[in-house]
Amino acid sequence: MRFRFAVFIIAFGINVKLLSAQNFSTISVNFKPMFGHSVLQLNDSIYLLNSRDSIQFTTLKFYISGIAFWNNSTTVWIESNSFHLLDATDSNTLKLAFKVPADMIYSEIKFKLGIDSLTNVSGAMGGDLDPTKGMYWTWQGGYVNFKLEGKSNLCQSRKHEFQFHLGGYAHPYNILQSISLLTSNRQNVNIELDLKTFISNVDLANKPSVMSPNKEALILSNQLGKLFIVK
Amino acid sequence: MNCLKIVSVCLLFIFVSSFLGSKDGLFNIPQNWPKPIYNFSKNPLTKEKIELGRALFYDPILSQNNTISCSGCHSQFTAFTHVDHALSHGINDRIGTRNAPVLINLAWNKRFMWDGAINHLDVQALAPISHSDEMGSNISEVVTKLQHSKIYPPLFFKAFGDSLITGENTLKCISQFMLTLVSANSKYDSVKRNESSFTKQEENGYKIFNKNCTSCHIEPLFTNQKFENNGLPLDLELKDFGRMKVTQNPNDSLKFKVPTLRNIEFSYPYMHDGRFKNLNSVLDHYGRGIVKSKTLALQLEQPIVLSANEKVDLISFLLTLSDKKFLFNPEFGYPKNLLLSLPKD
Repeated sequence: MRFRFAVFIIAFGINVKLLSAQNFSTISVNFKPMFGHSVLQLNDSIYLLNSRDSIQFTTLKFYISGIAFWNNSTTVWIESNSFHLLDATDSNTLKLAFKVPADMIYSEIKFKLGIDSLTNVSGAMGGDLDPTKGMYWTWQGGYVNFKLEGKSNLCQSRKHEFQFHLGGYAHPYNILQSISLLTSNRQNVNIELDLKTFISNVDLANKPSVMSPNKEALILSNQLGKLFIVK
Repeated sequence: MNCLKIVSVCLLFIFVSSFLGSKDGLFNIPQNWPKPIYNFSKNPLTKEKIELGRALFYDPILSQNNTISCSGCHSQFTAFTHVDHALSHGINDRIGTRNAPVLINLAWNKRFMWDGAINHLDVQALAPISHSDEMGSNISEVVTKLQHSKIYPPLFFKAFGDSLITGENTLKCISQFMLTLVSANSKYDSVKRNESSFTKQEENGYKIFNKNCTSCHIEPLFTNQKFENNGLPLDLELKDFGRMKVTQNPNDSLKFKVPTLRNIEFSYPYMHDGRFKNLNSVLDHYGRGIVKSKTLALQLEQPIVLSANEKVDLISFLLTLSDKKFLFNPEFGYPKNLLLSLPKD
């Protein structure tokens, strides 16, 4: 008898959940990589760093994961299996959409820049985490969280190229960044990431490449984590 | 209440079987062995996936110019290492910097490669596929080639119900085949199962082993899975500092993974750079070749000095770790039915 009652309660619960979950609305979160005040363009656009030095970007790819909406210090919605590879060459990847309950009210968006350590040690993954996406290191285990490549006259490297492949999931170089952004309750959120500020703090002349989990990767990631702003 | 009992028994069965890897004998934990490290519930073994992984393992399609397969450096009759090569060679005869490790009992491995740079069996194959001295390709190129081949889309369909090939599925199949490479049928194992007995010489060798070697080469896997500096002098040309490159911690300088001793008779040459051609040279090193340094394994602070007779006995014990059933198991060999009978393009 007790068992039947339990089934009834569970069935009732599912029913209630189904009924109430029928009203959804979509929240769009658009990531906009910027260079100063203009939207970043890869390849052809040449940007000035100052009156003398210029820079071009060829690759910008990064992972956004663990997206959650919060309201006054409480979680109101968490995306399951939340891993998104954003690639500046494909504008569709920069626009994320979340189907949330229609009556949801939020005041804060939280997400991670990069891939958490558990996922990093869980073997081969699919979707945006598939190693064919070119964001998994091959000479050692782990994902590249953030990849930025290009060239600048400042770089004293071959072809004046720079490569920043920032990754690392293990102590002392766990470079995953947790980002919290306050925002008003709205359906369209634009999040900007200014790469001019980022690259201006990088020593392009002497350190044009960071491609291992190390101290530099940690410092650069910490800086990146502070550059996301809601517009 | 009965229903609840049935449900919980079913759940328990599912729970237990997910640990065992498979319900139909595709993977069995040998008697008295520890639980595997590999999480089979995330990649449950099936006959089709293992067969597909085996085809991939033996197919040079994984290399940039279709010349080198995994088996090129990991051949079955040497316990899946590179026969008679100190340093393994890959595409265009380029020579790497390390000796190919054996592929045995990988389900129990915590980390992969001599320096542990790889954290999971599934992603291990990415390293040789991508390395310019090994297969010189990349997983994305491999997946495109597989998708355009005649034989693979149907095999992936059979294995996954989808002929669209992904990196994830490719890597998981290679893992499945490698997971089946369990070696637990040596004479040593049969002695442990009370099915046979050591000779007097082997018995004495086992005693010497237990006194001097077992702290690093722990039974039944014959490795403690740790990284240790065993006192080899640094090769000034290769300048390989091992684990330190991965952790960037000076305390890991010159440390390499403690290898299993199973099938050691066939896995020569020995050490991470294959510097010793035979077991006598290895024992000589532990007797009078150890170079002292800050990171030297504590166990080796005193050299392992053995008499000539003791060495012979110890080696006779080590030879009981040879598993002929494993080395010649046709299920691990070249998949003729898959790679020879079907048209290639």
